Amino acid sequence: MVTNTKEVKGKDICVQRISPEEKRELAYKDDVCIGCGICAKICPTEAIELGEIGAIERTGVDESKISIDEAKCVLCGMCSSACPVDALDLKLDEKSIKDMAEYPQLIKSAEISDDLCIYCKACETACPRDAITIARILPERSKLVTGEIEIDKDTCISCGICEEMCPADAIEMEHHEPTSSDPTVSSDITVNKDKCVYCLICRKSCPVDAIKAVCRSCSYGDYDLNPEDSETTGSSFIDEEACVNCGWCQEICPVDAATVEKAFEGELTIDQDTCEACGACVEICPCNVLSFPEAEFGEQSDKVQADETYCIYCGACENVCPVEAIDVKRTAVKHTPTKSKSWEKQLSELKT
Amino acid sequence: MVELKVDQDKCLGCGNCVVACPVNGSISPETAGGHGPKTEDVIMMVENGVIKLFNEDKCTRCGTCPLFCPTDAIFLE
Repeated sequence: MVTNTKEVKGKDICVQRISPEEKRELAYKDDVCIGCGICAKICPTEAIELGEIGAIERTGVDESKISIDEAKCVLCGMCSSACPVDALDLKLDEKSIKDMAEYPQLIKSAEISDDLCIYCKACETACPRDAITIARILPERSKLVTGEIEIDKDTCISCGICEEMCPADAIEMEHHEPTSSDPTVSSDITVNKDKCVYCLICRKSCPVDAIKAVCRSCSYGDYDLNPEDSETTGSSFIDEEACVNCGWCQEICPVDAATVEKAFEGELTIDQDTCEACGACVEICPCNVLSFPEAEFGEQSDKVQADETYCIYCGACENVCPVEAIDVKRTAVKHTPTKSKSWEKQLSELKT
Repeated sequence: MVELKVDQDKCLGCGNCVVACPVNGSISPETAGGHGPKTEDVIMMVENGVIKLFNEDKCTRCGTCPLFCPTDAIFLE
């Protein structure tokens, strides 16, 4: 008889069944898991159990977020199809069922269009999973300003005021102690024209008027500039493993370059009277949906505030709430079609 | 299996956990306001200067009390 084997590596779990016909392998990645418990809900054999997520996430209890009973697991892959963050993956002969059209997949995505992106990095900052990297190449500063600058070295007394004042660090002097052979305090003064922005502070602060400088950007300088020189270029990258399709990038993007599609639709309700403001939900939410509102002095605010725009209706907050103050309803589960009635049924039972 | 535990030797009897515990607050609302519970139905209470678990079965292991304990005298393990 062929039996399942389980391998635990750190907090990751791998359940395997190798028969002469086929190798089935269910891999679970704990660092990807958000502790929502959807796998435990959909598992037809009750092989998966959700751990003590509050204790694990908040107090550093060193355990996996889920446990899999390899004796009960039939390696069907429903958990893998339903996991909203792809923390579980069933492979048949090394091929993931996420790459097989026969198996239903949750319809979810997040994309940033490089054609539209202006590399402002708002999405990178807002992403609650640190899944976005924006690499940008800034324009060359020297190409955005035009002017002229010249230091009359005969007039210059090497006081160093211009060097200290220059906001762009464009002026450099070669200071030295005077000697009988060279009785000066600086042997040279140079202006780095790649750094100079022609702000004229050096000219204005020079006590002996040794600097001649003029800025052409202020008056007619714009005509001298090549518009292409002012463009920031770059590229964007979304770490699909870390991304939970919460939609923060889409909402914060000022030029609509980010598009997110969510697998679940639903409704999130918080009973403010029941809530004890313990903060478990705020910490567990992978999407930064929940926060403690800032109340005006003397005013009583809501205990916990939610912005459903970013909610993926995973239900992690509902699971962790110790006083049942949160209700997460899933009204739609969007997935690719499947011919299997039982899969269809199990997936639609994720609706609450 | 994660359980709620206390180390009475470490406990200072400050009662932070009693006040912070959301389940205590829902059973005995005055605890959320900073007072001692009026009933022994709560999860934990300070008795004779140290913390004592009365109903650990009511604990949902949400992880709130350890965050407020100054001496790690109450913990989940």
